[in-house]
Amino acid sequence: MMRPRWQKVLADLRGNRGRTALVIASIAVGLFAFGVIATLYLVIRQDMRGGYAAIQPANIRLRTSLIDEDMVSSIRKVAGVKDAQGARLLNLRLQKAPEEWITIELNSQKDFENSNISKLSLEEGTLNPSKRQILIDRYKLPDINAEIGDLVAVETPAGQIRQIELVGIVSDLTNGAFSGGGGFFLSPVQGYVDADTLEWLGLPLPDWYDTLYLTVEGDGMDQSQIQAVADRVRDELEDRDVSVTSLATRRTDDHPNSPYVNAISSVLLLLGLFIVFLSTFLITNTLQALLQQQVEQIGIMKTIGARRTQITVIYMMLILAFGVLAFLLAAPLTSWVSFQLMGFLVYQLNFNLLGFRIVPVVVIAQALIAIIVPQIAAFIPIWRGSRLSVQEALSGVRQGATKARQASSRGIVRFKLLSRPLLISLRNTFRSKGRMALTLVTLSLGGALFISTFNVQRSMANYIEQISQYFIGDLNVTLAYPYRVEKIEELLSPLDEVSHVEGWMTARSEILHQDSSTGDAVQLLAPPGGSQLVEPKLLAGRWLQPGDQNAIVLNELFRSTYPDLQVGDTLRLQVNGDETDWVVVGFFQFAGQSAGYMAYTNAEYLSQLVGLPGQAVLFRLVAARTDLTISEQEALGVKVQNLLERRGIQINEVEAGLSVSQTAADGFTILTAFLLFMAILAAIVGSIGLAGTMSINVMERTREIGIMRAIGSSNGILMLMVIIEGYLIGIISWALGSLLAFPISNLMSNSISLALFEASTSITYTPTGFLIWFVVVSLLSIGASVLPARKAANLTIREVLAYE
Amino acid sequence: MLNNFVKSNGRSGGRSRERSEQETKISEQSQIRLTNLVKTYKSAAGELPALNGVDLEIYPGEFVAITGKSGAGKTTLINMITGVDRLTSGEVWVDDMPLHKMRENQLAQWRGRTMGIIYQSFHLMPSLSLLDNILLPIDLCGLYRNGESTRRAMDLLTQVELQDHAYKPPSAISGGQQQRVAIARALANDPPIIVADEPTGRLDSVTAESIFQIFLSLVEHGKTILMVTHDSNLAYRASRTLEIADGEITTSNLSYNERLN
Ligand SMILES: Nc1ncnc2c1ncn2[C@@H]1O[C@H](COP(=O)(O)OP(=O)(O)OP(=O)(O)O)[C@@H](O)[C@H]1O
Ligand SMILES: [Mg+2]
Repeated sequence: MMRPRWQKVLADLRGNRGRTALVIASIAVGLFAFGVIATLYLVIRQDMRGGYAAIQPANIRLRTSLIDEDMVSSIRKVAGVKDAQGARLLNLRLQKAPEEWITIELNSQKDFENSNISKLSLEEGTLNPSKRQILIDRYKLPDINAEIGDLVAVETPAGQIRQIELVGIVSDLTNGAFSGGGGFFLSPVQGYVDADTLEWLGLPLPDWYDTLYLTVEGDGMDQSQIQAVADRVRDELEDRDVSVTSLATRRTDDHPNSPYVNAISSVLLLLGLFIVFLSTFLITNTLQALLQQQVEQIGIMKTIGARRTQITVIYMMLILAFGVLAFLLAAPLTSWVSFQLMGFLVYQLNFNLLGFRIVPVVVIAQALIAIIVPQIAAFIPIWRGSRLSVQEALSGVRQGATKARQASSRGIVRFKLLSRPLLISLRNTFRSKGRMALTLVTLSLGGALFISTFNVQRSMANYIEQISQYFIGDLNVTLAYPYRVEKIEELLSPLDEVSHVEGWMTARSEILHQDSSTGDAVQLLAPPGGSQLVEPKLLAGRWLQPGDQNAIVLNELFRSTYPDLQVGDTLRLQVNGDETDWVVVGFFQFAGQSAGYMAYTNAEYLSQLVGLPGQAVLFRLVAARTDLTISEQEALGVKVQNLLERRGIQINEVEAGLSVSQTAADGFTILTAFLLFMAILAAIVGSIGLAGTMSINVMERTREIGIMRAIGSSNGILMLMVIIEGYLIGIISWALGSLLAFPISNLMSNSISLALFEASTSITYTPTGFLIWFVVVSLLSIGASVLPARKAANLTIREVLAYE
Repeated sequence: MLNNFVKSNGRSGGRSRERSEQETKISEQSQIRLTNLVKTYKSAAGELPALNGVDLEIYPGEFVAITGKSGAGKTTLINMITGVDRLTSGEVWVDDMPLHKMRENQLAQWRGRTMGIIYQSFHLMPSLSLLDNILLPIDLCGLYRNGESTRRAMDLLTQVELQDHAYKPPSAISGGQQQRVAIARALANDPPIIVADEPTGRLDSVTAESIFQIFLSLVEHGKTILMVTHDSNLAYRASRTLEIADGEITTSNLSYNERLN
């Protein structure tokens, strides 16, 4: 038979199930939140890096004049090159709906199945397309409304429409790795075809490659080694009369979306710290309340011979049992929820999980926390309780402690205006100052975290709005070739719906280093001087002015990669093969690191420079009505497209203005969704904290409630008292949490934007979080008080007075 | 009715039987000795002296009743003797243990084996069954033997006629029954001294009488008993009556038996 002292532990666990459930829940929710955060933090980074390295991503991409397979073989022999792969990249138009065409980027190479560079992962179908067949990347697949076996229409460079069969869905983890101006989220639909299909689409063989992908010897982690190999390969190509139009490099572990994962990780780290902190408070608070109820029993045990250590051990065992049960509950739930969440992230951030697994470090950490934190949290109350003299414990009165209590009740009596139940509630609320403080800290922190995630989301959304300030205009029309701006304006003038047309020039360029080697690609965007369709956010210097010649404004990526570059400096770029010098007049903030290098200059100057004065390829149209929806913009787009095409203008793409910010928003959707999850997590921790504390507070007073009823208080008044008290605590914690939300929001949004944009953003506050939490707090604090109070009210007075 | 209450080979039991044969001539050495005991409570209202220099000797096998008005200091005196509260000055000796010098922890174990304490408001462990309530002090004092201890606890419950309720929680039985469990618990470690603070205070006269009978039979078995009571009829039947007023012992009456003689 079990020893009576352990019988007592067991009886405490089983006796008051509601209370046991609350204590376990409060420990488990902390363990769970910590576990999910730690699992995500460890697994996402590991799997994103590991999964990316596993497909042997290209370290170097060169865009060249046309080359053949022999040339690729000779490049393979260049020192430091591990493997080389030739490819053809081609943008075509793909029919999404009867009147709707979108851009598809076709990647064509000899063999996808046995490729050693940037391997595709198969999701569905085959990795081996034959003639007239195509593979599509999973991410933008929903954009084209097609399934495996469907025929999709594409328009060849010569303008013919061809039907091509979708035979495979793949994931290409390198998507966005080398695109200068967009990254993963902004890249168009990706398609993969073989050489025969390419020929069928009208591109002649055998000199059909225009792109070289290379991997370097070694692990591919050393940026300078990669750069050295790249320079050698370029020299080799140029020696063989191949011109290199662009060159980009990337480390083997550097997934294109790693900035987003870094952003997520930084939030995780911060939240993780807060949640551990929060859970510790929650556990301390709950256990203190629990031990408060045990004081009399401690006194009894002392009179019948229990030593202080025996009492301490009994309660430590009880708390150990709570911890173990909480761990058993939290650990499996943690794994399940973490991997569920990661399933979502995998698709959104384009990486592959290395498989569902239990992360031993996390489980061990959870076990340790489950065992140690509650012991630490309970140690002081246990020790204090065991130190009470028997007399004090049995009577519930601390000698020498009577003074404060009398004083506080005297203080309250002065508020003559307040009703009696309110007075009693008020006094109850502040009766135990230490416990009260703990409760408030716990609830406020939980609330603050919840509210903060909304503010951070709002700031993110603001950021996206800010991006769209660079794409004002209802339609963006990209032409296949430069046309005279005046001609396009004239063609569009019969359309009443269009009020204003701007012709923009664009050009691709590369940074020229001091040793005249080319570096990363820079997208040059050139609005006409004085354009009203860009409202930039300047980080330094000024924006372009009409009449500026070789003035250039750079995005934030330049600042982080070339910290020495200042306003007033000269930047050397290779534009269309020519070396050109530009004066940096300012820096602007765009969509952060993953957007690549972008620069603005005046259209007049750039079109002159590239030998196309007065011409443009990019046309921005402003509608007469200012409040078009995205579908109205798209409808207008169809009209514009038809009009221009009838006049023989070749169009690459017509894009609704709002779709730009929508596309840009995609990158943040994932963060937003993620933050929402975190908000829910914070709310769960906070709510369980709130509900638990309230219920335990009321349970603690079951006896008092019984006595009040015995001396004639009606149930109505008792309920009112309990509700007022619970609500008061809830509202105070809401107010404190709201205050605390300001610095926490700031901290969180700064750490995200530092990871994403390498700059701290201005935080925007939204009432949403504050309001939602207010409602949650109101409902929970009342609910959590009323339920146990109802239970207390339903007990007979005899039962209540016999209550422990 | 209470033959098996005390182990027949118990130390105090053996000695006291000899003594009871000698009838009332109180033994050579005192078992409890208080000298110039002062207890002062500190509160917001200032210092409140509850005991003002009490001197008292109690001998083995005595049945001492303590009476006095409410607030006179009876509970305080009991608390000093059991060591559950700290004294202000003076000395308390029980056998050869100086309680005034002992630490809480030493006191706890010693008390568990030496004194059985019974309160007016029973103070049973609410979450434990009656049986476990009796087993707990045995366990806490390190005397627990699997099986044997349970048998003893069951015996004690049988003595107080509650064997049928052994597995019920305290909240499921009446006040008088709870008090009987408290007595059984006080006897669990077979202590030589029983201290009871108004054990019959909450009980009707018939139940009170049955509890008192238990005490009488305990004295017969050689236990020393201190009992606070307001019931002068019960006090009158003890071997000695102490009356306390304003923190001082005012009268110390001779025992019932001596009066009979
Ligand atoms: N914890 C305490 N703090 C302050 N004063 C106390 C405390 N306990 C008792 N007193 C005071 O000490 C005096 C003696 O109290 P005690 O409890 O010993 O009385 P009592 O004789 O047992 O009374 P009753 O018959 O009502 O139980 C009383 O005046 C009481 O108010
Ligand atoms: Mg008393």
